Amino acid sequence: MSVEPFNKLVKLAARAFYDDITTKGDNQPKTGRSDNRGIAVVVLDALTRRQWVREEDLAKDLKLHSKQLRRTLRFFEEEKLITRDHRRETAKGAKIFSAAVAATADGQHPTKEGEEKIKLHTHSYCCLDYAQIYDVVRYRMHRMKKKLKDELDEKNTVQEYICPNCAKRYTALDALRLISMDDEYFHCESCNGELVAESDKLAAQEGGDGDDNARKRRREKLRDMLDKLEVQLKPLVEQLTRVKDLPVPEFGTLQAWEARASAAARSNGDSSGNDPSRSSQGLGGTPMPFLGDTKVEVAFSGVEGKGEGIKSEAESTSLKVLPPWMIKQGMNLTKEQRGEIKQEAKMDGSSVAVEFSDDKKSTESDDKKNLQDEYVKAYYAALLKKQQELEEAAKKQQELSNTSLFDGLSGTSSGRQVGMKSKRDEDEGDDVEWEEAPVAGNSNENYKVDLNVEADATAEAEAEVEDDDDVDWEEG
Amino acid sequence: MFFHIVLERNMQLHPRHFGRNLRENLVSKLMKDVEGTCSGRHGFVVAITGIENIGKGLIRDGTGFVTFPVKYQCVVFRPFKGEILEAVVTMVNKMGFFAEAGPVQIFVSNHLIPDDMEFQSGDMPNYTTSDGSVKIQKDSEVRLKIIGTRVDATEIFCIGTIKDDFLGVINDPATA
Repeated sequence: MSVEPFNKLVKLAARAFYDDITTKGDNQPKTGRSDNRGIAVVVLDALTRRQWVREEDLAKDLKLHSKQLRRTLRFFEEEKLITRDHRRETAKGAKIFSAAVAATADGQHPTKEGEEKIKLHTHSYCCLDYAQIYDVVRYRMHRMKKKLKDELDEKNTVQEYICPNCAKRYTALDALRLISMDDEYFHCESCNGELVAESDKLAAQEGGDGDDNARKRRREKLRDMLDKLEVQLKPLVEQLTRVKDLPVPEFGTLQAWEARASAAARSNGDSSGNDPSRSSQGLGGTPMPFLGDTKVEVAFSGVEGKGEGIKSEAESTSLKVLPPWMIKQGMNLTKEQRGEIKQEAKMDGSSVAVEFSDDKKSTESDDKKNLQDEYVKAYYAALLKKQQELEEAAKKQQELSNTSLFDGLSGTSSGRQVGMKSKRDEDEGDDVEWEEAPVAGNSNENYKVDLNVEADATAEAEAEVEDDDDVDWEEG
Repeated sequence: MFFHIVLERNMQLHPRHFGRNLRENLVSKLMKDVEGTCSGRHGFVVAITGIENIGKGLIRDGTGFVTFPVKYQCVVFRPFKGEILEAVVTMVNKMGFFAEAGPVQIFVSNHLIPDDMEFQSGDMPNYTTSDGSVKIQKDSEVRLKIIGTRVDATEIFCIGTIKDDFLGVINDPATA
């Protein structure tokens, strides 16, 4: 999908048709300063270098007053060259767009996270509509040629008449109503003014109508114009034919384009470009493909020899030499996803459940707690061995998970609150996020231990699996 | 173009026509009502050629009128774009001339008159070639081509051209 030929088309059309367009009203005096002819060409050229763009940004880039730009853009909208979109949005919503822009233009990434304003602003966006431009230009050329040709052979055209007083137009089909009994002319229905034939206006400024010579001259003039039109618009016609069979670049609606742009940024592994869009949008659709990678992680626990049968199978099949960054990316998303779901599922019951389980634990299921503690100790012994290779981030992670585990279940609830999205944004970044998901997972498993008394062994195994996930992310 | 088609119409008949001649009265009233009218859909009804079927009459409440659904065959005339017609000139002026082909009015504007014909004003306004051999004036017969029609619900108006091969005056009353 190459935009280049279409851009050339736009530029040619801009210079051919919109070169001397001025957006000022006719009533304003045209001083040298306010003469803004040529601005249309500049704006169109600027738009060929962009996709969707916020009009304020465009105005800033072009060093134009936004009012002036808007007037030009409205003109182009009427000409059906561009599509525009207006929406009321918060500062945050504007940020989504900035992220998308950064993703496509791979310019500097927006790093500043302004505090959220509740105030809504209406922002306008505009974008070239290439498919329509192609049609519009073709139609325009067709009309120009048809008008000249029709007038040239004066054949099969319905004569038009115009009232010089009130500018009302009639066609020859109205002739029956227009004749007056008094004289041989047509008269306007509304003001009774004498109508003049309209087609004489374009080519015939000569006095003396109906003169044989004048008619000849007019024909010559028309033919001249037609020839000139052919010659001068030749580059445009050539560009049109060149573009004819090419697929038209399509940016879709503003929303679709934003979603696609941010998705593209994500798949590029562009983590910094990733952040703002995810934090603000949290696209649900894209993480799904990464679910497969999750299994890889789960299976990785089998390396330590504690995995279950099925999972180790999965490991043997899918434990390929995956590049660590890829695992990180996949885990990141799915974990987040999973954590969210669990949070949602448990959120209402969690406050109750935590208390409830605490009571339970303290009163009746101390033995289980002991068992779990033992398991935890054993696990951390194994973990410590591994952690000699790990970096500082891992240590931090361990501390956090330690606290969450050793504090018992009461700690998990607070941990979960830490893991709320809003905080995540401003914190250290990705590392923190990855940690949170397993915390939620752990707590979940622990609930299982409490509530499903008979299934504690498997629950433990699962809990361990989850913990192992921790280790993997630390590695990555 | 002429068509022979079957149309249907609900005729209302006054009770005074009831009797032996009810059918004849019905048909004559139909002819009086329909012939010469114009509908945008079918064109001008030129003549009724026969009655297909007269349905059961229905007495209207309150009036005593009876409504008969009548199916009748008729000849209609409907002008079409591109059709060639022969017409009689009815009026000539600076803007062109008007002509009639049966019930249809046609306007030929001056730029659809050949370039070599000039408008001559005066007692008998006309369009004449420079050598005076061809003259279009009132009551001239011209062959013209319809290039546009305006079809309303009850009216059809056409514009024509004589600026083409084999179009123009076919019978000049002045020379005849």
